[in-house]
Amino acid sequence: MSETTSRQASWPGAIFALGRVAVVIALVAAAFVWTVGGRHRAAPAAPSGYLQVDIETSPIALDPRFATDAISSRTGELVFDALVRLDAHGQFFGDLAESFERPSPTTLVFHLRHGLRFSDGRPLTARDVKYTYDSILDPASVSPKRIGLRQLATIAAPDDATVVMTTKGPYAPALEMATMGVVPEATPLPGKGAKRWPAASGAFEITSFARDEALVLARNPARTHAPDDIPGIVFKVVPDPTVRALELAEGICDLAENNIQPDLLGYLGMRPDLVINQSPGSEYYYLEFNFRDPHLRDLRVREAIAYAINREAIVGSLYKGTGRVASGMLAPENWAYNGEVPRYPYDPFKASKLLDEAGYPIGPTGTRDLTFVYKTTPEGRRLGEAIQAMLRRIGITLDIRTNEFATFYSDIQKGNFDLTLLDWVATDLTHQYFMVFDSKMTPPGGSNRGNYSNPAMDRLLEQGEVTLDPVARREIYAEVQKIGATDLPYVSLWWMDNVVVMNRRVKGFIPFPNGSLRSLATVSLTPEAGSVRR
Amino acid sequence: MIGYFVRRLIALVPVALGVATLTFALIHLVPGDPVVAMLGDTAGPADIEGLRHGLGLDRSIAAQYAGFLWGVAHGDLGQSISMKEPVARLIAERFPATLELAGAGLLIAIVLAFPLGLIAGANPGGAADMGAMSFAILGISVPHLCLGPLMMIVFSLDLGWFPLTGRGGLAHLVLPAVTLGTALAAILARMLRQSLVQVREADYIRTARSKGLSAFAALMRHGLRNALTPVITLLGLEAGALLTGAIVTEMIFSWPGMGRLLIAAISARDYPLVEGCVLTFALSYVVVNMATDLVYGIVDPRIRLVRD
Repeated sequence: MSETTSRQASWPGAIFALGRVAVVIALVAAAFVWTVGGRHRAAPAAPSGYLQVDIETSPIALDPRFATDAISSRTGELVFDALVRLDAHGQFFGDLAESFERPSPTTLVFHLRHGLRFSDGRPLTARDVKYTYDSILDPASVSPKRIGLRQLATIAAPDDATVVMTTKGPYAPALEMATMGVVPEATPLPGKGAKRWPAASGAFEITSFARDEALVLARNPARTHAPDDIPGIVFKVVPDPTVRALELAEGICDLAENNIQPDLLGYLGMRPDLVINQSPGSEYYYLEFNFRDPHLRDLRVREAIAYAINREAIVGSLYKGTGRVASGMLAPENWAYNGEVPRYPYDPFKASKLLDEAGYPIGPTGTRDLTFVYKTTPEGRRLGEAIQAMLRRIGITLDIRTNEFATFYSDIQKGNFDLTLLDWVATDLTHQYFMVFDSKMTPPGGSNRGNYSNPAMDRLLEQGEVTLDPVARREIYAEVQKIGATDLPYVSLWWMDNVVVMNRRVKGFIPFPNGSLRSLATVSLTPEAGSVRR
Repeated sequence: MIGYFVRRLIALVPVALGVATLTFALIHLVPGDPVVAMLGDTAGPADIEGLRHGLGLDRSIAAQYAGFLWGVAHGDLGQSISMKEPVARLIAERFPATLELAGAGLLIAIVLAFPLGLIAGANPGGAADMGAMSFAILGISVPHLCLGPLMMIVFSLDLGWFPLTGRGGLAHLVLPAVTLGTALAAILARMLRQSLVQVREADYIRTARSKGLSAFAALMRHGLRNALTPVITLLGLEAGALLTGAIVTEMIFSWPGMGRLLIAAISARDYPLVEGCVLTFALSYVVVNMATDLVYGIVDPRIRLVRD
């Protein structure tokens, strides 16, 4: 009996033996959570009245002299004004500059607005503009933006309100160089010991930044604004597209631009407190041919591929109608757009006929002696498979090879592809024609990755770069678009629409074709019945 | 035991050196170039060379490697090429978040796994076993990509108990930790159950039973310690993997951890940042495994951490 009692008395010991291990490990884990978690402040939440915008990735650089990624550029536009900006039609207008003129083919003069100040109260003068450009051009700064200033010969500040730029020769796209965000004179380069962001020259200033969490902007105290305008913006980093949609649906997020999956738009569109604003965009998708491949040098093969791709079906099914079938790089909203170019509507019969004529008859297995390597990223694989299926119908075999972006990019730069699908979101797409279709512009130094060459195209593009008369430029680029659509170095696929999902409380948002968020500076938030912020 | 840990700490040096060397070699071997990733293809050869020189990438690989090691030896991991911030600062900002999430995930896993595994292992074939193992299979089968959003909808949006995303107080931690810990809990519970079922058949359990102990008591007093050894081995490995493998959970819950930082660094071919992140992960892994060794000794005194 006593033995039994003794065995029963050992139960707590037995359980302790089990528990000891679990407790040791659990305590270690709990200690981590307590010590680490307890010290972390919550991510910057949206202060009252602030607009919350969900973004998919964090801005990489907060200093406009180093910001090259899309998110850094778009948030940077709200914080750092430039001499000029691009409007919805691809035309430049004054930003810090009240006016600008071109007294000679190589000189640009900018007259700054009066009373400009940085967010720290310092006056913004021409010296600050010159310093910004000088620090970008300084090799010690290793700024990636230096290449955009390749044609800049000199920059001078003859007085506090005047900036004079000279170019190395007549250069039509010179105004694009004047779109750099301006920082105060003597702002050190980012890195050890430097402040994480410079004082603001734009509508907002940065008040806090937690990488991969949130960027918070408040009104620049040195700038006036309408009383109803929002006092600030929280750009919250939400990488998962479903979670972005949930945050919109629940009223946590006020606005998301071009980062909601098309599949989810139907669900969000049914929410009474949300509005979907779909407007023409200028992001251009294209299929690029590599002219190093002898088969692809045959125009009939390229035409056959163009006719075989059902772009309407892809825009309708994969993108749920959030795009327009493209005829060229320039969208109809652009000042230089020419719609009178050859088009390639879906016609697999015509495509097959062209391949027969080119000497690639269909074999007994239903395929032709045409296999191309299609390079893409994992994200682009689905689109690649759609194109693969369409080309299979006309007997062309597409070998899809996926790599993460850096490897993929390295490959296409070196010309290691037959076909690839990419997009352009450039500031000045007329200049972009020169960068992608001039025969001298193969990488490095240009974006003619497919090694396309046509002397007539080269002549026009080089003329376009130095012709300053707008009427003559329009004629040049009309012809460029026609040759581009005839020669088919690219199959033009679609221009993506700008799709903005926002709470009905947001008033006054104006979308830009290039996705710029500049109009956030003038939006307001109005309380509405049924829109509860959680 | 102290001697053992001192030796293990000293052994960290060659491990760190090996990891640093391997990471340096791999990131320089894979295609892609940080300068081209930064400048795009419009940059001319002069631009590329200029930036390469500015970043010190035009030096010989041996010189770069020596510079990197010199920096590591002096606690300087260099400056991020893409983010223009000191690598140590970027890691210091993120590593606590990763530790916090992995620690909480581990806690959830242990809290769930031990009762489930015990219940199932003590009554194999019974209703409790079936129930516990059904939960385990469910836990293993449901991917984080589904579990995370489901929990968000129920516990954050519908019930309003926890914040939806982000890092903050303990409330922010619950949903990501449960998402991360559930699969590990399921694996551990199955392992513990299997281990317990095996030791049930051991001679020493039969002996204990013949001395009059109930089946459950024999299992608890004599079987559990032996059954725990493989579970702890698994726990040690998985705890290390939790540190590095939380990227999906980080993405779903907008958790600012090391996983997202590393992915961004790899995409930009940001050599110093990749090297810093991998080195941090590797050293954490070694430390977790040292902790596992410590737990072995607690569970089973026959396992000695000193040389006989």
